[in-house]
Amino acid sequence: MSKDKKNISYEIDHLYRHEYGKLVSVLTKTFGTSNIELAEDVVQEAFAEALNKWTYNGVPENPVGWIYKVAKYKAVNILNREKYKRKYVSEVAHYLQSEWTLEPALKRIFTDKEIEDDQLRMIFTCCHPSISSDSQVALTLKTLCGFSILEIAKAFLTTEENINKRLVRARRTIKETNIPFEVPIGKELEERLSSVLETIYLLFNEGYNASSGDHPIRYELCEEATRLAEIIASNSNIKSSNVYALLALMTLNASRFNSRTDEFDNVLDLEHQDRSQWDKDLIKKGLYYLEFATQQNNISIYHILATISAQHCTAPDYDSTDWESILSMYDILMEIDKSPIVLLNRAIVLSKTGNPQKALEQLISIKNKSEFLSYLPYYTTIAELYFQNNQPKTAIKLLNEALKLPLEPRHKLLINRKLEEYSKKV
Amino acid sequence: MQEFMIFIKTNGDHFDDLSPEQQQAHVQKIGKYIGELMEAGKLKGAQPLEMNGAVIHGNKGVFKDGPFNESKEVIVGYFHIMANNMEEAIEIAKANPMFHDEEGIMEVRPVKQMEGIN
Repeated sequence: MSKDKKNISYEIDHLYRHEYGKLVSVLTKTFGTSNIELAEDVVQEAFAEALNKWTYNGVPENPVGWIYKVAKYKAVNILNREKYKRKYVSEVAHYLQSEWTLEPALKRIFTDKEIEDDQLRMIFTCCHPSISSDSQVALTLKTLCGFSILEIAKAFLTTEENINKRLVRARRTIKETNIPFEVPIGKELEERLSSVLETIYLLFNEGYNASSGDHPIRYELCEEATRLAEIIASNSNIKSSNVYALLALMTLNASRFNSRTDEFDNVLDLEHQDRSQWDKDLIKKGLYYLEFATQQNNISIYHILATISAQHCTAPDYDSTDWESILSMYDILMEIDKSPIVLLNRAIVLSKTGNPQKALEQLISIKNKSEFLSYLPYYTTIAELYFQNNQPKTAIKLLNEALKLPLEPRHKLLINRKLEEYSKKV
Repeated sequence: MQEFMIFIKTNGDHFDDLSPEQQQAHVQKIGKYIGELMEAGKLKGAQPLEMNGAVIHGNKGVFKDGPFNESKEVIVGYFHIMANNMEEAIEIAKANPMFHDEEGIMEVRPVKQMEGIN
């Protein structure tokens, strides 16, 4: 490939990432939500045409404008060609089928404000509660973030076929339940927003928690989650502080992204991370979001988690972490969320506040609950606590038990490292 | 709010005596006008019609061509709008730049509202 050609494909990739979701959103409004796939096809075709034309004629002066123009005209041609075959429910479609109203309508639907509003509508459409949550995430990544099926499959460590199935299911649900292309209002907005935020947080965690796989894609998942939350936050009709709390949480966690793995791709816990690598600008931004989120009188799980994350981000080193404050946050969190991971994390914090014995007792008391028996973090956490209580032998015994679970290689490696560490103290 | 039809009529193709530049400026003005109507939520639709068609006279099941209008006045298109009343509908029609530089006729007619069914 020549250098020019490489540049063109780079240029197009870049444009694709930034403009795909916007164009698909606007065209989904135009064609109606039951035709999401048609909207995607039109945008794909416009980019394919760009690759073709630009390779021969060079990149035009205004590449974004070029793509938009091509996508617009393709959309208009489809509307008019299939005028009598397909039913388009949108008012816009009607305008685009008349010579007199075509140009004014195009101008109007492609203003920056409309494009942003359409992305927001698209978020609410993709994250509609009638779509299963794994399909919601896949559809959001596909339509709003311009991820290919292969990229989504990589991000979720699954097959392309699997992702495709989720997408097909999501589109079918949208068609069958006639999901409208709009941001709900009033009471419904509150309910739907919480489902949207859940999906965004899930998307973020997919990128943040899984340690294997392709790093750039993983980081992009986090970036996309943040971008979507920012679109929601910038809409003046949505006043929930939960949006800002989630933004704070994601931004603060993202600030530690680069220090979370060592050079061998192993996950490092907070204690072993190089804090000089934490992104100061992101921490600042996250704290700003958190301040904004706490101006209202409500508290969500995101508020609590963001506050905990902020405590970590602002501690100069691991030992000077304000464990007491974090523990009080976990106490509030436990009232909302009694999931195993919260319970385990609280126990760790409890042990840091000078109560390793108490923390251990709490964890032992829940040992026989079935949900913990196959839960790896339970074993590693309780082993660590035994170790801190000067019982390395019991710790080793537990880790050996954990090794019998069906584990991924990287987890096995992690356990073996811990075993080595603990054996030194026997 | 009530629906109105505004029929646009001219004598022949009223664009004929405009230069290409004038035509372009004219089209832009109309585009701006239509955009504003859309923005205000007052435009339901607007479409131009082809200049030729058929005129048919029917009388008790007997049809014949014509009558053809001597003045060659033809309907060139319509605007389907929403307005609070006839006065506003007329205002909207007058604001249409189509005949600010040219000559033509607009017929503003309220769409008949259906009485409730009991």
